[in-house]
Amino acid sequence: MSDDPGQSRRGARAFTPDFLTELFRNPLDPGYADAAAQRAKSGRPARSGWSVGPVGLVVIVLLGFLFAVAYRQTVAEEPGRAQARSGLAAQIKQRQAETDALSTRAEELREEVNRQREAALGGSHAARLRELEASTGLGRVRGDGVVVELADGPSGQDSLGGADAGPAQVIYLDLQSVANDLWGAGAEAIAINGQRLTSTSTIRSAGQAILVDFRPVTGPYEVSAIGPGGMRERYEASRSALTMRQVAKVNGLSFAVRDADDLTLPAAPEPRLRYAEPSVSPSVSSSGGDESSGSGTSPSPSGGGR
Amino acid sequence: MIAVLALLAGVLLGLWLDPTVPAALQPYLPIAVVAALDAVFGGVRAKLDRIFDDKQFVVSFISNVLVAALIVYLGDQLGVGGQLSTGVVVVLGVRIFGNVAAIRRHLFRA
Repeated sequence: MSDDPGQSRRGARAFTPDFLTELFRNPLDPGYADAAAQRAKSGRPARSGWSVGPVGLVVIVLLGFLFAVAYRQTVAEEPGRAQARSGLAAQIKQRQAETDALSTRAEELREEVNRQREAALGGSHAARLRELEASTGLGRVRGDGVVVELADGPSGQDSLGGADAGPAQVIYLDLQSVANDLWGAGAEAIAINGQRLTSTSTIRSAGQAILVDFRPVTGPYEVSAIGPGGMRERYEASRSALTMRQVAKVNGLSFAVRDADDLTLPAAPEPRLRYAEPSVSPSVSSSGGDESSGSGTSPSPSGGGR
Repeated sequence: MIAVLALLAGVLLGLWLDPTVPAALQPYLPIAVVAALDAVFGGVRAKLDRIFDDKQFVVSFISNVLVAALIVYLGDQLGVGGQLSTGVVVVLGVRIFGNVAAIRRHLFRA
């Protein structure tokens, strides 16, 4: 007791001025000291040794019980957590495998459909269809063309060095302008990192990533274009090529244009066509509009009452 | 000695009965354990100081556990459960440290 100054001072000071100071100075419940003081006043002797009263014993049993339960609980929870994580990982892997299998199957089926269609149509119709598919990006195409390569500059030197130069990273606008100028230079088919562009394709950024048709592409970027001869010269003279050359010189990202023979550009995924639907208005006259709106909406005379 | 035996009996009872904790009470278990540890070390230290008191021990144990659980419950309801649990653990942890240091001084004179 003599080694604890807070103990002897307690009687004189009823209010503890600073909770944290008091906590650090005297971690023991003050109730013990009070009880001891009361006992000393009434003259009852303190219990000796390690004996405890019956209520105390019950509480101690309860304590042991609590510890055991907590231990059991913790031990029982651990494999559950690990299981959940590994289960999720396994699910992800399984779903990925399923997706891969399904997309290869879709590819096969599309080939099959194409073959059947060509066999059924035959002749000029099939050729025309192939032509249309190639130009819209729905069919695989082969040919000579140009490959534009863009890559991020070495990291670490970005944005600190040049004042007017941006970070040495390819941004989605670069890819957009390159693709647009390639179209302008006469390209008939363009793919970015093997992702075919169609008339509805988008090149956007989401945070740090660049999305082509909502699928992320990562650097180095390779924009392949199939087109007529002389496309490279026309592209080299375009604005994006000049800009990118300048940016590459200043910022350290790499930009290169080269001719490529026998490029094969994959087909774009089947476009999700969206159809405009006429809004259902009750004042439609019973002409062609009713039939085209389909049976799902079923405008009927009783519909007006609703 | 009886106290140690009682503690052992409690542990064995817990292991033998192996009760399942209701899901609603599971978040409070760790905090309750810390609060109980605080009460135990407080009791041991009081014992060594020769000021141990049964009633004080029982009351401090039960109130510690209940208050700790209540604080965590309140925190959960207010959306600051993690921070409040941290606060409870810090306060009880400081007390445990202090009491263990006092016990150490008693036992080893160091």
